[in-house]
Amino acid sequence: MKLDIRNSKPAQFAILLVVFFILCLAIGPGESNYLWRLPPLFKELPTVINDSIQFVMYDWWPIQVYDPDIEDFEEKALFSEITRSISSAFLFVITLIREIFLGGTKTIVAFTGWDFIDKNPWAEWPALPWTVIAGWAIVLGYKLQGKGLALLAALSTGYIGIFGQWEPSMQTLSFVLIAAPVSVAFGLALGIWGYKNHWVEAALNPLLNIAQTMPHYSYLVPVIVLFGVGDQAAAIATIFFATPPMVRLTMLGLKNISPDIVDAGMMNGCNRAQLLFRVQIPTARRDILIGVNQVVMQCLAMTVIASFIGAQGLGSNLMIALNSLKIGSGLEIGLCIVLIAVLLDKLSLAWANKQTDYFADLGFVKRHQYWLICGAILIAGILFAYFGGLIFDEDFNYLYIVPHNKGITTAPFWQAAVDWIWDTFFFMLKDFNEFLIVSILVPMKEAYLAMPVAATFLLVMGTAYILAGIRSALIVCGFLLFIAFSEYWDRALITAYMTTFSVIVASVVGITVGSLCAQNSTASKVVLLLCDFFQTFPSFIYLIPVIMLFGITDTSVIIAAVVYALVPAIRYTVEGLRNVPAVLHDAGSMMGVSRFQRWISIELPLAFPHIMLGVNQTVVFALFMVIIGAFIGTTDLGQLILKAISDPRGTGIGIILGLCVAFIGLAADQILRTWANERKKALGVA
Amino acid sequence: MISKKFSRALLATAVGALFAVSGVANAADSNKPIKIPIKNWSSQIVMAHVIGGMFESMGNKVEYVPVDNQASFEAVRTGDLTILHEVWQSTMQNAYYNAMEKGGLIDAGTHEAATLEEMGVPNWVIDKGLCPGLPKWEALKDCSAAFATPDSGGKGRWLEGPQSWHGDVMPNRVKGLGLDDKWVVKFAGAADALWAELKSAEKEGRGTIIFNWSPNFTDASGFTFIEFPPYFDGCRIADGGSMETTGCGSPPGWLKKGANYKFPKTHPKAYAAFSKLSFTTPQIGQMAALVDVDGLTHADAGKKWLADNEDAWKPWTVSVLGAGN
Amino acid sequence: MPSESDSSANEQAVIKCESVYKIFGDNAHKVLENSNGKVDAESFKEAGCIVGVNNASFEVREGELLILMGLSGSGKSTLLRCISRLTDPTAGKIYIEGQDLLAMNSKELIEVRRSKMGMVFQSFGLLPHKTVLENIAFPLQVKGQNTKESIRRAVEMAELVGLGGRENYFPRELSGGQQQRVGIARSLAVEPDIWFLDEPFSALDPLIRKEMQDEFIRLRKVLNKTILFVTHDFDEALRLADRIAIMKEGVIEQLDTPANIVLNPATEYVRKFTEEVPREKVLKVSSVMEPVSDSEQFGDLKVSKDAIVETVAEAILSQDKPVAVIGDNNETVGTLHASHVLNMLFGGKSGKGDEGD
Repeated sequence: MKLDIRNSKPAQFAILLVVFFILCLAIGPGESNYLWRLPPLFKELPTVINDSIQFVMYDWWPIQVYDPDIEDFEEKALFSEITRSISSAFLFVITLIREIFLGGTKTIVAFTGWDFIDKNPWAEWPALPWTVIAGWAIVLGYKLQGKGLALLAALSTGYIGIFGQWEPSMQTLSFVLIAAPVSVAFGLALGIWGYKNHWVEAALNPLLNIAQTMPHYSYLVPVIVLFGVGDQAAAIATIFFATPPMVRLTMLGLKNISPDIVDAGMMNGCNRAQLLFRVQIPTARRDILIGVNQVVMQCLAMTVIASFIGAQGLGSNLMIALNSLKIGSGLEIGLCIVLIAVLLDKLSLAWANKQTDYFADLGFVKRHQYWLICGAILIAGILFAYFGGLIFDEDFNYLYIVPHNKGITTAPFWQAAVDWIWDTFFFMLKDFNEFLIVSILVPMKEAYLAMPVAATFLLVMGTAYILAGIRSALIVCGFLLFIAFSEYWDRALITAYMTTFSVIVASVVGITVGSLCAQNSTASKVVLLLCDFFQTFPSFIYLIPVIMLFGITDTSVIIAAVVYALVPAIRYTVEGLRNVPAVLHDAGSMMGVSRFQRWISIELPLAFPHIMLGVNQTVVFALFMVIIGAFIGTTDLGQLILKAISDPRGTGIGIILGLCVAFIGLAADQILRTWANERKKALGVA
Repeated sequence: MISKKFSRALLATAVGALFAVSGVANAADSNKPIKIPIKNWSSQIVMAHVIGGMFESMGNKVEYVPVDNQASFEAVRTGDLTILHEVWQSTMQNAYYNAMEKGGLIDAGTHEAATLEEMGVPNWVIDKGLCPGLPKWEALKDCSAAFATPDSGGKGRWLEGPQSWHGDVMPNRVKGLGLDDKWVVKFAGAADALWAELKSAEKEGRGTIIFNWSPNFTDASGFTFIEFPPYFDGCRIADGGSMETTGCGSPPGWLKKGANYKFPKTHPKAYAAFSKLSFTTPQIGQMAALVDVDGLTHADAGKKWLADNEDAWKPWTVSVLGAGN
Repeated sequence: MPSESDSSANEQAVIKCESVYKIFGDNAHKVLENSNGKVDAESFKEAGCIVGVNNASFEVREGELLILMGLSGSGKSTLLRCISRLTDPTAGKIYIEGQDLLAMNSKELIEVRRSKMGMVFQSFGLLPHKTVLENIAFPLQVKGQNTKESIRRAVEMAELVGLGGRENYFPRELSGGQQQRVGIARSLAVEPDIWFLDEPFSALDPLIRKEMQDEFIRLRKVLNKTILFVTHDFDEALRLADRIAIMKEGVIEQLDTPANIVLNPATEYVRKFTEEVPREKVLKVSSVMEPVSDSEQFGDLKVSKDAIVETVAEAILSQDKPVAVIGDNNETVGTLHASHVLNMLFGGKSGKGDEGD
């Protein structure tokens, strides 16, 4: 009997559940009953954190800084002065790129001063006509890959240029063009360091998790104080968010290199740098390129949140449109974001895969043909713009730059589509919504809140122990204790309830859809493209229609979370299944298993570890969206984070709340990741 | 001790040098741009362009920075934004006064406009007779069923804005008025959630009561504010009131301006004009309507308003320039 | 190039190993010191160490092809990795052209690898992101040669290994044999003096393996390198080697010419390998020929002393006169009688190798 329990996980779970329910029934609610709720020992923590952060930001190591504007010295804190100088460097580069696209004076100002501009009104860099940049993008696409990419570039830039989104798109692009490469470089460096040093890797993992799961809103104020408001602050916040997947995939890729290749590199006489940059990194590039893809996606997914701290461009226009319920123009803008993401992703991929032709022995014109074409496009574009100015008698010129919100637009089309969906499905969904809320969500929420803290600990730690061992159980216990000792346990339970529900739905749907699509390579490609789409398409856009369909209810939050969390569930399932060696398919077929049996008994178990990593990401994505759900209206941690910003102790409260959210994610991550790793070892795939 | 001081001085020089590279030294009456926040509602953005246009007419440079409303207060404090031109009492006074307390934000006067921020219903709710007796608040005693939602537990749903706007004022008011057995307060997460709710309720023909304000774009389709017991200082529990008095309605709200503390020193004339500037409710309504009704872009709306209303704004700049010269 | 066991020992040893040990384990050095030179796998295992190479001493002379042969886990690849210093031996000395390899700092080591060593790997070790040409040119580019030069050289090398026309393919677009041709070309691009091959043909299927071995023999003739070759395939070793070192559990059991190993296995372990080997496939004419006596009347047929007996047997048997054996310079060095060959073919086959001659 004893032996049986040790080996049988279902039996262990059964015992765990029995004890759990006994605890739930035995422990009644009570203020002083510590088995019901732990005392808020960390109640003062927000104040302490708030004070220490404020000390570092405002008071620590004060220095005298001369401010020429008020002709006086000011006392400033060293730390924020340092961060401010970093951010001004960022700002300079962003402005430079932006002014290359759109024109302006600030780059010139940076080298001369505002006085110079006042005295020399001619000193303004002109904007390039949109046709020139579009032409360059097309040529670049053609040179890097061929007609397909050139066509994509043409359609994307054409859409953006003609429908009056050029200026905000270029603003967004100019900050992405900084944030993405810096994230890639930063992620690559950290990944290499983590690969070379075991301790660094161990330290990086939780930090990356926190960077990914900590809601942005919770550290908005420190970011503003340290980096200011504007594109530079937005870029820096974006880098925090976009770097983690790059680090992870770099480490993964480097670990997976066949040792022979490294040996070969060494025998070919590479020194350390050559080995790293010419052998290891290029060899690991399949994973590293997925990392780059993720960076680009995350950067553009951040555009809306970036506009909270001053990023100009599509994100802020989107928020303005949505706030007056202009969903049509919101969709038009959202599509621009997706197009930029896809185009950047494909271009960077093509660039990395580019081949050199060593046999071409070409003349000057042939060798430099693309530069010459680009030059020709510049001249032609300027001429077009000039003649366009003569033709178009409106107050703008279609061949130069179509100002935002002018000219022809696709907004009415999108608006009509949204209205159609709304009209068609409203009443159907209303019944579903009522059923869901009354019969599932409300009871589930109440059940979560009715759990004594002791029972919650038992359940989570027990699960961790059974699936991932004693070490994981203890780590998870640490995370839970932090939340339980804060004042926010009940709020965290509500967050947990919405996240659990979303993860379950997203995983079931995602794994099913992923499995179906993985059977066919075209379907796989299409569904992965859709994943890219939904990862970058700003969730704020569908929040509004979702609210219109489902009201300000938990359903809306959960639907938004499910849509977003489906992305990793599907992506990882497809990747996992597609990577099952074909040999095993054949072996299965030879044993006479049916298609379904093969899926159940061969493919799923083998792809299981990878799928579990997908579920892990699903938790992260769902959590992220549940917190964003505060913008719909929730009563969980997210709402408190929003509220904290206007609180005088807001910085501290925000960070504690953010950590609570991150720790929920980390606890799930700990269990799922360890479990997946052990399964991997058991299957011999690791 | 000495070495510590010395090293600090050294660091200060180093950091100073860094700055000398990034920012360029300037003469006193600054020609650096004035940074105006762009938030996410129409009147605010148009007013930003109106005020920006006004500054430009005085020879100043202007930069518009998109920013989250709640985050903007901290940004003005640190000088990353120069002004705040539309601070609504009811929803933003917490953040405004907190920032002032921390230092860096100064009060730059109040607009003439009185704002109205209150619970209310769209006109079609009244037309449909979903709650006979509105806009008197007493009518709410008998019509809560028409405002119920699946998750409100049979009570009527009282849809308040985000909790960051007024904290517990609404739950207290519901209790104070003795409506808590019939109504339950739900916090929406953002303004656009409120507008989505309006649309969805209209579609369904279900009653809805939301927190709203005027001037706003919802004015165009008709919105009626509920008349609660009159406000007086100290009626709310947070201000020392009791359960009996906390049922009071919203005060006629002020609309304030704020600025970074350096603004008067760096741009004395612009600051003087800004502190004099004061818009009335109809003016703000006009600005919002240019966008929400006439469909202009925000920047164009700003230009048009400036062009159409020179009488209104010129005096603020002229008097300043006159005094200056 | 001919360097049989009996050739003079005064040629310079290109590779020289003295008591090389490689012990795996955290406390390898300590355990080895405490063992007083008595290293055996069992007792080391108890101390938490695994013996990779156990007291290997040998020399490889210029132009010689030495094969390290053993089953998996015998330490043959480990020994090769020690000699290429992909791993550091736990104890012992290794000299490359008289230079102490283990005393070199990383800069010197890189220099040696860039100028003197080339290596071929079992799973090819090709850079997946580079084309055939780029892979071959890689060691040259790493040395600092410019693109144009290195690519020109790579084109030559590709031609040499028979990859002409596939220069711009990526490794994934090539068959296993073709990939290994790239590996070979790459290892030869810098014109190394010493050529290491670590089970180069093991990953290939038998037909291709045979083809690649022929290719290897051809290249070896053209290039004249000192070669250290690792394989687990005894037939391959017999076919290619000048000398074979048979390894078991890290120890070199026997180091000798193929013929001597087949004819005189030193240990039971070696004997087991040789059991199934048909001698005519192994032995060269030179190892079975008889000295020339003046009275001998030769027929028209002449055979090279380096020819494998099997390949010439039929021709010899059809002769009624003794056959002359000629050396490199076409001089007669020995003689073969049909009866002698018959005896070896059939007499030897019924008996086991250990019966000897």
